[in-house]
Amino acid sequence: MTTGEARAAPATTSDAPQGTAPAVPPAATARAAPVTASAVPPATRPGAAPATASAVPPATRPGAAPAQAAGPGTPRPPRAGIRLVRLYATSRRIPAAVTVIMACAVGLRIALAGRWDTYGALQLPLVFETAAAAVVTATVASPLGEPERITGRWLPYLRLAATLALTAIAVGALAAAGTGAHLAGGTLDVLRNLAGLVGIGLLCAATIGGGLAWIGPVAFLLPGAYALYTQWHHPALTTPWLWPGRPPRDLGAAICAGLVFTAGLAVLTARGARDPADERD
Amino acid sequence: MTVTRAPARSAPVTSRPGLAAARLLRLELRHNAMLWMMPVAVALFWVTAERKIMATPPLWSLRAAGLQPDAVLAFASPVAGAAAWMGSRESRRRTTDLVNITARPRPVRLLATWAATTCWALVAYLVCVAVVYAVTAQQATWGGPLWWPAVVAAASLPAVSALGFAAGTLVPSRFTAPLVTIAAFFVLALSTQLINGSQSYWQISPVVAAPWDIGPDPGAGTFYPYQPDLPIAQVMFLTGLTVAVLGALTLSTGAGARSLRRSAVAVTAAGLLAAGTAVALAGTGRLDRHGMIAIPALHDAASDRPLRYTPVCSHTAIPVCLNPAYASYLPATAAALAPTLDQIAGLPGAPARISQAAVTYRQGPGNSVGFGLAGLPLSGVPPVFHLLLPVELPGPAVTTTEQASQVRSIIGPSIIASVTGDGPGASQAQHAVTTALLMAARAVPSHLLPPGTPTAGNSVPGPPPVAGTDGEPYVGAAPGSPAYAAAQRFAALPAAARRGWLVRHLAALRAGRLSLGQLP
Repeated sequence: MTTGEARAAPATTSDAPQGTAPAVPPAATARAAPVTASAVPPATRPGAAPATASAVPPATRPGAAPAQAAGPGTPRPPRAGIRLVRLYATSRRIPAAVTVIMACAVGLRIALAGRWDTYGALQLPLVFETAAAAVVTATVASPLGEPERITGRWLPYLRLAATLALTAIAVGALAAAGTGAHLAGGTLDVLRNLAGLVGIGLLCAATIGGGLAWIGPVAFLLPGAYALYTQWHHPALTTPWLWPGRPPRDLGAAICAGLVFTAGLAVLTARGARDPADERD
Repeated sequence: MTVTRAPARSAPVTSRPGLAAARLLRLELRHNAMLWMMPVAVALFWVTAERKIMATPPLWSLRAAGLQPDAVLAFASPVAGAAAWMGSRESRRRTTDLVNITARPRPVRLLATWAATTCWALVAYLVCVAVVYAVTAQQATWGGPLWWPAVVAAASLPAVSALGFAAGTLVPSRFTAPLVTIAAFFVLALSTQLINGSQSYWQISPVVAAPWDIGPDPGAGTFYPYQPDLPIAQVMFLTGLTVAVLGALTLSTGAGARSLRRSAVAVTAAGLLAAGTAVALAGTGRLDRHGMIAIPALHDAASDRPLRYTPVCSHTAIPVCLNPAYASYLPATAAALAPTLDQIAGLPGAPARISQAAVTYRQGPGNSVGFGLAGLPLSGVPPVFHLLLPVELPGPAVTTTEQASQVRSIIGPSIIASVTGDGPGASQAQHAVTTALLMAARAVPSHLLPPGTPTAGNSVPGPPPVAGTDGEPYVGAAPGSPAYAAAQRFAALPAAARRGWLVRHLAALRAGRLSLGQLP
């Protein structure tokens, strides 16, 4: 059975959090089962990315059965939950993402120590915010694709928690990097811009795929930098949807960035990234 | 004939390697991420570059100089990202082992992927250039497209693509493509912070299309030929960088025959040599008197000769003649100067023509740059007054209305002052006559009006006349002074009486032999 057939199966409804077994018609379950079986080999193939616990059939993993059977509403052993989180973080390269975000913060701190003209001083934070946002969105790509979506019932919560945690880490790291230096826009600007950029990336992940989700924030960087530029050079771009060009306390820009972030987070939580099953990082 | 007796057919791949390479390239063109990134790149160019470029006056020099950095910035990030994405494809799809056993060596396969990525990038870029140049061709009144800036931007795409592709191949990670994309923007957009003066190695950056501190010179390609010194060095650098990166990538793959590896070493060395030489050449650049970067080793002295053109002239009392590239500014300029020119037309020593001149640049101490007219504003027989339009000067772009206002407030008084001999050391009578003629022309600068005087109608806003661009500061009579009262009396005379007095006494006035009491 091909991946396309697997996507066509209504088994994707099981991706939503459910406390009980998914209400999938018997026929659909029968179709989905071989897909799960055929998708198992990535965990056993040499060089394959680490799989999450939920992506592997419980029968093949001793001790994993309780975690697989338990839904969000049922209690799970703490060690199994921790293991699930650890495996999810590993499969999404979250430790590497945190390292890159910290490197971005260090880079911003070093850059702020230099002398910049007005353009450079204004655009510098935006560049590092975009880098951090692109890294956050790059973590939503799944190396397992459809099989994991079918079997992983905790995935929505893991996606939500991981994205929120990484965004918070990025905001905190960049704000800390600007402490004691002249960070244009300040912490509010970092929070607004980063949240909006992450939201764009999450929406891209849901539409064009997790692997290419970075295109959104990176593509937004240029109009954002241009909006900052047009504060001196007309014709100015003043729409609140280009929030990097607005002052930090601009309510319209904050609302727009917040809306995009909320929408991206909601879509990603509910649907996850659109990933092909045959690609890894 | 049995199957076993049939002659063995040689495989097309081995007998016609060129055809096989073309087929491989065609396959890569059909399955390339840059194809899907093209709309993003074009949209970014349209949002950021097109608005900025089209907001400049329709002069080829300004449009081309704006196109180069904006196109590089708009295309560099998408191209670098797509190239990095393509470079990590084999690892991402876990096909490295699968394709390593194919007939084509890995460097050849990688080269085909890079070439396909670069081809799509160039196609998208050329479409944008074609549109910008087509619109400019319709709007420009003289001259032709400047190709060197477009060539520099085009040469930067293979280099950016090679760097991104190498990063994706060598470090295949999900973070590589986004970080390479942002690094490309960071390096290109913010590296210009390091440029200080005209002798800077950082001018080798492809986003530098003109002296970075003063911006593009509108006179390039209009009064003097465009100097390709810096673009030549930039293309040399970018080509060398591209070759060096691709050669190093071939070496790093560790595949191929010994001859291939030797060739790669030679190519990498040649590329590094070319890039290093270009950087060294850029460091020897200097600001020439026409506002462009001249590199002695690449400079062609023939390009210092002024361009020939037939000026376009107005039908005012004294003709106002502009370079045909500025023909669209002629009606507004002539209208702004007409009242002033009516006051002095036919007087002895008055200019026979108002002629536009080129800006001359001078590199000062440190990083300072001076600019202005090369000689005196009024010179020649018959006398010609040379003017600089505000749009020619470095600084923010001005609208046609702003330009007309500045012409009235700065150039108009300067023309009259050149006739009366007014200036910082002139007599009170000269101040008074100059101010009177401006009053008669209803073109008194606002700072010479008494406080509380409405400025509409008979005055023009603008900077103090001492900030005139022609190097001949006009002083005028201060409100409330005896000279100002004399100016009011002289301006109140009938035009014929005023003209008659000037015809008889202008020579004495210019020589400073008249006092205020001798004015009518």
